[in-house]
Amino acid sequence: MMFNDKMIEYKNEPNTEKQVKKILTPLVEKWFFSRFKEFSLPQLYGVLEIHARQNVLVSAPTGATKTLTAFMAVLNELVDSAIKGILEDKVYCVYISPLKALNNDIGKNLLEPLKEMEEIHGKELGIRVAVRTGDTTQAERSKMLKNVPHILITTPESLGILLCAPKFREHLKDVQWFIADEVHALAENKRGVHLSLSMERLSYLSSHMARVGLSATVAPLEEIAKYLFGTNRDGKIIDVQFIKEMDLKVLSPVPDLINVSHEHLHKKLYEMVNKLVQQHKTTLIFTNTRAATERVVDYLKNKFPKNYNLENIGAHHGSLSAEHRKQLEQDLREGKKKVVVCSTSLELGIDIGFIDLVICLGSPKSVARALQRIGRSGHQLHSTTKGRIIVLDRDDLVECAVLLKAAIEKKIDRIHIPRHALDVLAQHLLGMAIEQVWEEDELFKTVKESYCYSNLSRVDFNELLSYLAGEFVSLEDRHVYAKIWRNKGKVGKRGRMTRVIYSMNIGTIPDRTAVKVKVGTMIVGTLDEGFLERLKPRDVFVLGGNTYEFRYAKGMAAFVTAAVNRPPTIPSWVSEMLPLSFDLAMEIQKFRRLMGGYFIAGKKKKEILEFIEKYLYIDGKTSVALYNYFNEQYKYMGMLPHDKKILVEHYADEEGRKKIVFHTLFGRRVNDVLSRMIAFALAKEGHKNVELGMNDNGFYLGLARKGQIKKALELVKKSDARAVMEQAIEGSEVLRRRFRHVAERALMILRNYMGRKKRVGMKQVSSMILMSALKRISPNFSLLKEARREVLEDQMDIINAESVLEGIKTGRVDVVEMETNVPSPFAFKVVLQGVMDVIKLEDKMQFLQRMHQLVLVKISLKQGKGKKGVVDEGFDYYEEWKKAEERLNESRDEEMEELKIEVMNLEKVPFFVKEQIVRLLEGHLDIRLDVIRELRDREKDIKKEWSKKLSKIVFKKLKEI
Amino acid sequence: MEIINGVRILDLCLYFVEEKVLVLGDVHIGYEEALNKEGVLVPRYQFEDIMQRLKRVFEGLDVEKVVVNGDLKHEFGTISATEWRHTLKLLEFLLSKGEVVLVKGNHDVILGPIADKKNVEVVDSVRIGEGLIIHGDKLVEIPSEVKFLIIGHEHPAVTISEYPRMEKYKCFLLGKFSGKDLVVMPSFNLVTEGTNVLQGELLSPFLEDVSNFNVFIVGEEKVYSFGKVKELN
Repeated sequence: MMFNDKMIEYKNEPNTEKQVKKILTPLVEKWFFSRFKEFSLPQLYGVLEIHARQNVLVSAPTGATKTLTAFMAVLNELVDSAIKGILEDKVYCVYISPLKALNNDIGKNLLEPLKEMEEIHGKELGIRVAVRTGDTTQAERSKMLKNVPHILITTPESLGILLCAPKFREHLKDVQWFIADEVHALAENKRGVHLSLSMERLSYLSSHMARVGLSATVAPLEEIAKYLFGTNRDGKIIDVQFIKEMDLKVLSPVPDLINVSHEHLHKKLYEMVNKLVQQHKTTLIFTNTRAATERVVDYLKNKFPKNYNLENIGAHHGSLSAEHRKQLEQDLREGKKKVVVCSTSLELGIDIGFIDLVICLGSPKSVARALQRIGRSGHQLHSTTKGRIIVLDRDDLVECAVLLKAAIEKKIDRIHIPRHALDVLAQHLLGMAIEQVWEEDELFKTVKESYCYSNLSRVDFNELLSYLAGEFVSLEDRHVYAKIWRNKGKVGKRGRMTRVIYSMNIGTIPDRTAVKVKVGTMIVGTLDEGFLERLKPRDVFVLGGNTYEFRYAKGMAAFVTAAVNRPPTIPSWVSEMLPLSFDLAMEIQKFRRLMGGYFIAGKKKKEILEFIEKYLYIDGKTSVALYNYFNEQYKYMGMLPHDKKILVEHYADEEGRKKIVFHTLFGRRVNDVLSRMIAFALAKEGHKNVELGMNDNGFYLGLARKGQIKKALELVKKSDARAVMEQAIEGSEVLRRRFRHVAERALMILRNYMGRKKRVGMKQVSSMILMSALKRISPNFSLLKEARREVLEDQMDIINAESVLEGIKTGRVDVVEMETNVPSPFAFKVVLQGVMDVIKLEDKMQFLQRMHQLVLVKISLKQGKGKKGVVDEGFDYYEEWKKAEERLNESRDEEMEELKIEVMNLEKVPFFVKEQIVRLLEGHLDIRLDVIRELRDREKDIKKEWSKKLSKIVFKKLKEI
Repeated sequence: MEIINGVRILDLCLYFVEEKVLVLGDVHIGYEEALNKEGVLVPRYQFEDIMQRLKRVFEGLDVEKVVVNGDLKHEFGTISATEWRHTLKLLEFLLSKGEVVLVKGNHDVILGPIADKKNVEVVDSVRIGEGLIIHGDKLVEIPSEVKFLIIGHEHPAVTISEYPRMEKYKCFLLGKFSGKDLVVMPSFNLVTEGTNVLQGELLSPFLEDVSNFNVFIVGEEKVYSFGKVKELN
């Protein structure tokens, strides 16, 4: 059966009010117009389709009455049947949303109308609505079995369990509608994959079930429709995404983002935020990370105490308790808050009342995300959505300006839907085998109806069945591992405990317990698991205001030592950093290319400014800042890198280490792949210890001697990206952790076994054992394959990386190498990412400015307008760079030297004790016990006699022992 | 490779050349089963692997006595049928090579019945030449004639890393205890490498600070000397 694109069409014209009224029963029509003046646009488009059991994807902004659009036809039919006395005891409609909170909201939003209708009608209708989640009590569940709900509101996980429940299943055999809300939030991760298979299992029971998807602003709509409808089903897309007016601006706190101190920039930033908040009734601020959320709330409270206090400001993010968050959401609904700051947690559609302004601090990293956030404002259908993006550096400025353009021009960046996830499939195959005995052929066919598995190979399918049947162990051991039996082309469940194990371990969200950070046995804080994946031994990071050096990880604990004098090498929030979307990255590069064209053609500043303002919809001040940034880069390098011209800069740092910067503005996910591919090629050329750092704008490599990039690229062009990358991630922390999640989903590691819940730490250790054991069976064992796929496709972006490499191969993309003494302006941020161990975080701005000065000098020298004094003294900017780095290194070492001298000069202290103290300062942990005891016993005296600095450090280090 | 006078490293075992005694330890038969009971469905290959590896060790080796330095089996408490069978099979194999002595380990709570069945001695320690072999979970009196100690229990391993890759390897450690040479043997448990000694938190009372201990990593065909623990950190 050929998959025909014509099967999915856009509905271009809405129905008329008359047409919609025609299908409504009198009671529903009466009720509707007692509440509302007229049908909304989504309703005019959607109600008739849903009534006709058409598969529909409705894409509309928040507050656009999507929910009622979806339910109107459903309620209509149920009310009609109820009145006619033909309402059956079965589930007519299943409603799914990713959030538990949303489910409770909807219960209310359905029960209210029903009650109102009953009042109008004068008697009860007997339409039952029930919510079923992990929180539903046993009593409620039994009740549901006896009084089957007509509308079932549930989560993807609970649905998976209900499908296997032998009694409840019977009531799912004639479901008329399946409504999936916030589809955009489900489709892009494994939870959505899980749901897609549940949908197929439901369709297998209820073959005429209509699928209705409700989604916010997202792309690509056709693909999401395919995800919703399945591989071979027709459907319609209703795209009313842009019916709301949008007031969106990009703002900079200061006119010049580079020649400004960190403090000043932040001062101006908060002044701007405060001003905006005071000008509006309720403001919602997005910061991207939890740490930033806390900081912003603190700062506002401290700097503007008259304006902000506990009553009217609040912080909302994932690390806060559920009660705190619920209360805050309630406060918002009741209009009690002036401003709420969150990381990303309030992006999804829970009703938070009336918000008249949304502020994004820093780039939201994708157009879709920006629109979703801004869409939280102006909740009523006809109000304008209002958003302001405040940028914090020049790259941010470029990014957000291009984002603004894309948002205005409705070019939404595409999400990535995971394909062929074998672990989720394994879980579902088991669920299906528990439901009934299947012919393997039919099972394969049913599974392939899911868009997420449309190209599943029979080989992969068979391998999974083989895994589930325990065929990877000897017959005598099989009973322990086999969850299904296979015989004569049929499969069914095996084992008494299998159903219980399945229901207790269902789901795709792995336990993401925070990693405990320990100094010795003392817990000093927690980190996100994703962050742990990025840490290497000796990395220094900040946590709770203190710096720590990472030593090693064991299970779910990270062991560190306090790193008093070492500056951070990696910010703690780095794993929380949202990656720049590939599509937006390409738009930014296109802008670079167009700008490049203007500079190459020798256009004057005035003309270029005009172009910027027209192209980017921004005003005078911002366009000048943008112009300056690009002008500097152009003057310094003689060209601008862009999507068709990758600039590769070579320079050497003060230790003579060669650094190579690649201006690959493709987003972190792609750069993760590109950087490793090139590092791999260089390693093949004999380079050892290739250092690597990257961000959304590019990556850099550090080598001991000059790297032959052209040669490395040749090697990369010839290589199979996937094979290289699989080798590159082998034995890495990120693969190990992903494998653990995969093993859990595929039920090879059971969270809940025999009534016991496993500690997460134990799981990590045992998953490593499992990984080695499976490698032994086959390096391509399904679960190993899936772990790799997840890392390369979902976490990184190997697919787009491959297309970039293809571009280089075919010559469509040029690679230009240049040598510099100092990194070019566009390279600063990429380089700083890694050079951070020479720079204290708070000096980052100074460093940036100093380098910037050097660049300016070089440019003016080039233009023959050199500063006289500078040229006369034989000024060498390279020397300056070296000196800057040295100075910062020295200031670290100097302090230590001073302290050591002080120790040696201590009076009344025996020599061997002085030695031990020096060792203590150097970070050794094996200090003589008697010395430690002495120091502790005499703490009071020591604090009186020794210098404050010395005693502080000594006792801090003692704490680590 | 000789680790101490008269004692050679032979894969994961030690061989006393003059006395013709082979020492291995911490086999932990039944470890996979224990994991299965925890809900980690790791497939069971350990026993086959152990037998294969042991056969290679014994090839062409002149052995009169075999010492198993504790934790022959994994389970505390009851012994499962498979464990019973495997343990007996392993003992039979060892008995075919020479006299067998079992040193009691902390996991060997019910070693008695199995040992009785095969008429094998279970002891707390064994003297071979100038060495004393003990499991290492408890401190013992060390007679003055003893020049060196051999313990197990710790399952020493080290992680070698080159970002982003990290691999763990079984190893022998050589250091000192109370002025005497101390050798820590790796486990013969093939399911997991063991405890990373670079990360502190050691179990044995014989091991307070291993930073000055020498590390010998057991490879496929060779043993590699990697210097001191502190240098690897």
